Amino acid sequence: MARTPRSEMKQASISEFFEKNKHFLGFDSLQRSLITAVKEAVDNSLDACEEAGILPDIRIELFRLTGDRVLLIAQDNGPGIPPDAIKKVFGSLLFGSRFHTIRQTRGQQGIGITGVIMYSQLTSGKPTHVVCKVASEPTAVQLDIGLDTKRNVAITSNRRRVHWIDEATGLEVEHGVRIEARMKAKFQRGKQSVGQYLRMTAIVNPHARIQYTARNEDGEIIEQDLHERVSDELPRQVEAIRPHPHGLEIGSLQRFLRESEERKMTSFLRHNFCGVSMRAAREILERSELEEIRKPKSIKAEEAQAMLAAIRQIRLLPPPTDCLSPIEGLLMKKGLSKAIDSRFVNTVTRAPAVSNGNPFQIEVGLIFGGDLLADGPIEVLRYANRVPLMYQQGGCLLSKGIESIDWKKYGLEHPGGRGFPKGPVAILIHLASTNVQFTSEAKDAVAENEEVLNEIRLSLQEVGRGLRRHKRKRAERAKAQEKFELVNEILPEISRRASMLLGRTEPDLAPVITRIMNAVFCEEEFEWDAEQNVQRCRITIHNYTARPRAYSILTTWPEAEGAQMTSEQPLGRRETLGLWTWRLETIPPGEQTTVEFSVSGLSKGAWTDTEVFFRGAGSIIGASPVDEDILADMRAEEDGRGASGEEVDAVVFEAVRSRSGVTVGDAVAVPPDEGASDAENLGDHRFDSTAPPTGDDSRQSSLSDFRGVDE
Amino acid sequence: MSASREDKRLVIEALNGVAAEMHDRMMRGEPPRMTLPVRSKSNIAFDERLGVFKYGKKRTIRDATSLGSARQLLRALHVIEFIEQMIDSGKSSTLREMYYISEGWGLGKFGSQNDSNNLAEDLEIVTKCLREDFRLRPEEDGARIIGNITFEELNRRGEWMRINCRDDVGDSGYGVPYNVEDEKLRLIEEDIDFVMAIETGGMFDRLIENGFDEQHRCALIHLKGQPARSTRRIIKRMNEQWNKPVIVFLDGDPWSFRIFASIAFGAIKTAHISEYLATREAVYLGITADDILAYDLPSDDLSSKDIEALNAELTDPRFSDGWWRQQIETMLELGKKAEQQSLAKYGLDFVTDTYLPEKLGQLGLA
Repeated sequence: MARTPRSEMKQASISEFFEKNKHFLGFDSLQRSLITAVKEAVDNSLDACEEAGILPDIRIELFRLTGDRVLLIAQDNGPGIPPDAIKKVFGSLLFGSRFHTIRQTRGQQGIGITGVIMYSQLTSGKPTHVVCKVASEPTAVQLDIGLDTKRNVAITSNRRRVHWIDEATGLEVEHGVRIEARMKAKFQRGKQSVGQYLRMTAIVNPHARIQYTARNEDGEIIEQDLHERVSDELPRQVEAIRPHPHGLEIGSLQRFLRESEERKMTSFLRHNFCGVSMRAAREILERSELEEIRKPKSIKAEEAQAMLAAIRQIRLLPPPTDCLSPIEGLLMKKGLSKAIDSRFVNTVTRAPAVSNGNPFQIEVGLIFGGDLLADGPIEVLRYANRVPLMYQQGGCLLSKGIESIDWKKYGLEHPGGRGFPKGPVAILIHLASTNVQFTSEAKDAVAENEEVLNEIRLSLQEVGRGLRRHKRKRAERAKAQEKFELVNEILPEISRRASMLLGRTEPDLAPVITRIMNAVFCEEEFEWDAEQNVQRCRITIHNYTARPRAYSILTTWPEAEGAQMTSEQPLGRRETLGLWTWRLETIPPGEQTTVEFSVSGLSKGAWTDTEVFFRGAGSIIGASPVDEDILADMRAEEDGRGASGEEVDAVVFEAVRSRSGVTVGDAVAVPPDEGASDAENLGDHRFDSTAPPTGDDSRQSSLSDFRGVDE
Repeated sequence: MSASREDKRLVIEALNGVAAEMHDRMMRGEPPRMTLPVRSKSNIAFDERLGVFKYGKKRTIRDATSLGSARQLLRALHVIEFIEQMIDSGKSSTLREMYYISEGWGLGKFGSQNDSNNLAEDLEIVTKCLREDFRLRPEEDGARIIGNITFEELNRRGEWMRINCRDDVGDSGYGVPYNVEDEKLRLIEEDIDFVMAIETGGMFDRLIENGFDEQHRCALIHLKGQPARSTRRIIKRMNEQWNKPVIVFLDGDPWSFRIFASIAFGAIKTAHISEYLATREAVYLGITADDILAYDLPSDDLSSKDIEALNAELTDPRFSDGWWRQQIETMLELGKKAEQQSLAKYGLDFVTDTYLPEKLGQLGLA
C-alpha cells in the first residue's frame, strides 16, 4: 500500500516568477516546451513511484493538433496524490517533498508540473484535466486545474469522484495519476525530441516501463515506442542528509544559527550538519575561540565568520553517500544493451566523491559495435540525476570531459584530438549528486567543476582501457579463429581430397598442424548454469608447437564483487584479490589441457569475460605474460603493507573506490599504458573531505595492474 | 619440357602431380604447398630462342600456413578433380560454368570469377598444359575474319565444314571458335598478301564497305578490343603456316599499345605459353604518336590513368625497344591520344584511299 508523503510537503511561492521567466524553466521554444512538459510529468511519476516502492509504469500519449498545438496525456501507476493535497501539488511552485531536504532527486526544485499547467493555460487558455487515485480511497478524484498566478493558488473546477477505468486495459485503476494538458508546442522526431527523451530515460531507469505514442489529430500513429523494464529492482532508496559544513556559505550558517533550538554549540554543529564528529566540533569551536556552552542564537556575525574559517581548515568526515543512487553497472549494462544492439558494453561506477560539500558520483557506460555507425561521431547520452540532458551539448562539462580524452589511445578515430571521437560507440555519462551545478537555470548543461571533471576523465579512461582490451582481444581471437579454421577444416579436406585423387592413404596430420600453427593458444568458454546459479568458466590451452610446454596460468575473476569460487581445482590457489592461479601439467606437443571452475554469487550475464595471464617460456595467443613486480605490489597492498601509512590508506581507498561494474571486457586487471602520461594515471583522490582537493598525483592504479602484451 | 599438346593420360598425370606434391609434403609432416612463377611484369623476360617474353625465375609459394593460401590449395584440388572428370567423360565447360559449379564446393568456393580463372591459369602453368587440355573454354568473343582465305572447321555434328571467309560468310565475317588447333580448325587455302588486325568494329566495317580486302588482297581481322587467346593463336598460325606478314592497326592510346604487345610479344598473364600466342613478326602500323602530329588528327587529352599506363609501359620490358620508347615519350609530351576512326576528319574514304596506302607503302605492302 502506497505511503502518502504529505507530511514532508512544505510551501514556497514564486508563481509569478514563472510568468516572467518561462525561458528559464524550459518553455522557451515550441519544441522545447513539449519536451519540458513530458519531462516534468515523467520525473514526477518516477520519483513518486520510487518513494512508494512501486515499479513505474508510465504512459505518454501525444496528439499533434493543427496550428502547433499538442495534447499531452501522461499517466502513471504511482501512489497517487491525496485528494486534499492535489490543489497544492499541482497549483503552486516549489511544492513537493523535495524542497528543503538534500538528496539526489530528479526535480531538484520541484517547479515541475505546475509549470506545465501554467504554460498550458497561458498558451491554450484551457485548464489541465487531472485524475488521481490513492489506494486507500475507493474512488478517484477527477478535476480541472487552472492557476491564479498572482495569488499562487490553483483554481479547480468540475471536481468529481469517479471510478477510474483505464481505457487501455479496461480495468479499474488502483492508484496513479493522469494528466491531460493542451499547449502550444511543436512535435518533432529525431535528436531533440520526446521520443529520444523517453528512450534516454528508459536506458537509465531500467526498472521503469515506458509507453510512448504520438498521433495525428485523426488518430493515426506517427511515432511509437515501448520500453519494457529490464529489471525488477527499484533504485536504492536515498536517505535525506543534512548539509555538509564544507559547502556552507556565511548566510546559510547564520540562518541555521538563528533558527536553531539547541542550547550548546556542539549539539548545534552535530545535529544540523553531517560529517561533524565530537572531536571535530570541539576543534571548530577551539579555533574560533567560542565556548561549547554558548547558545547558537547568540552567535554574532564576526563569530560566525570565525567559525566558517575554522570549518574550512579542519578535516571532517565525508558526507554519507547513501543519499546518492547511481544506476549501477549491471543495470546500466542491461539498459544500454536493450536500447542499442551491440557487441560490447563496459561500465564504470566510480565511488562517490565530494565537491564543495556535496557528494557526487560519476558513472560511465560505453557500448561498442553492433548497430552503431562506424564512420560517424560517437553518440553521447548525458544524464544528471537520471534525467537526460538534451540541449547545450557543447557547453556541458560531461561533453567536455569526453572531448578532453585522447581517444586514439583506445582505438577510436579522433582527428586532431578535438571534439568527439568517431566510431561505432555510444557513451552514457551520468552525474549523480545532491546538488548538480548547471550552466543556467534551464538545467541543460553541467557547469565547470574541477573535481567532477577529474572523476569524469578517470572513468572515461577506464572504459577506454576496457574498450582497447576488448578490441585487442577480438583481433587476437580473429587471428586464432583463422588458424583454427585452417587446421580443423581446410587442412583435413586437403588431405582427404589429395589422398582420394591419388588413391593413397591419408597422412597423419598432427605434425603438419604443429608446423602450421606453431603457437600455443588459449581459449575461454563461459556458460551460465541456471540450475545451480553459477557461472562456469573453462580455459583451454592448446599446444600447437613441436615441443612440450609447461605453464602456470592466472585468471581474473570478480572476487571484489562478492563472487565465490565453488568448485575446487586441486592445482588452483588464490594468488591475490580477484586472481586465481593454476599450475598446469606439462602439455605434450599437439595436445591440450583444460582448467574449469565455477563461481557463485553473481547473476546471469554479470561476468562473461576474463583476462588470462601466464608464467612460462614463449608466448600464448590469447593470454598475456605476468609482470611479477606488479603482482608483488598488489599482494603487498592487499595485506596492508605499504610504503607509508597514509599512502596505503589512499591506495586502499583507491582500490575500493574504483570498483568497476562487473561486465564484459571490464575485468579487474588494468594494464598501464605504453608511455603513460599524466592523463593516463589514475589519480589519488582522497576520500576524506578537506577543503576542495587540488589535482591528482600521478600514482599508478593500485589493484591489479598488469602490463599487457606488447603490440 | 616443352608445352606441346598432351594426350589425356599425360594431362591427368600432370594434374595429379600437383596433388602429389601436397600429399608428399604432408606425409613428411610438412604443410602442403604449390610453387608457381610470379606472374607480374617484374618476372617476364625475353627468351632469345623463342623470341617471345616468358616468365622468369621468380617463384611464389602458396602453402597452408595461412588461411587464404590453404583455401587456394583446396580449391586447386577441387578444380583438378573437376577437370579429370571432364576429361574422362569427354565433356567441356566454360570458365564461368566452372565458377558456378564451384559454388557447390563448400569450403572450396571461389570468391569471384576472376579467382576461378586465375586458378585455371595457375594450373596451366604448373602442369605445363594448355587450358584446352583441361577442356575449359573462356567466355571471350572470338575474332571475326573477312578475306579470301579458306578454313575447315569441325562442327558439333562431327563433320568438317569448308568455309571461305569472303564467299561463304555474311557482312560480319567468319567467327573464330574458341579452339583453333588443328583438331578443330584447319588452314586450307589462301590468296592474300598480308593479314591486318583491326581494333574497332567501326573501322572493320569501314574497310569492308570500301572493299579494302579485295583491293589490297588482305585478310581483315576484327580483334574486338583486347584479343582473346584464340584470336592471337589464329593470327600466329596464319603467320606461320602461310608465311604472311601481320599488320596491326589500332587506336593511338596506351591501352592499344598493350593490345599490340599481347599480339607481338605475349601477354603477361599468358607468358607461360607466349610461344603459342605471340606473333613475333607483327608490325604496328598506327595510330602512332607521330601520326597524331603528322595528320593533325582530332585528339583527346590523356587522362591521369592514361598517363599512369604510359609511365608503366616505360618500365615494361616488352616496350624496351628504342622505337617504342620514343613513341611513348612523344605521346606523353604531346599529352594527347587519338582513335583510329578520327581519320574520318578528312572524309570517310581517307583511311582507305590515303592513310593506309601511304603507311603500307612504307612497309612495302601497297
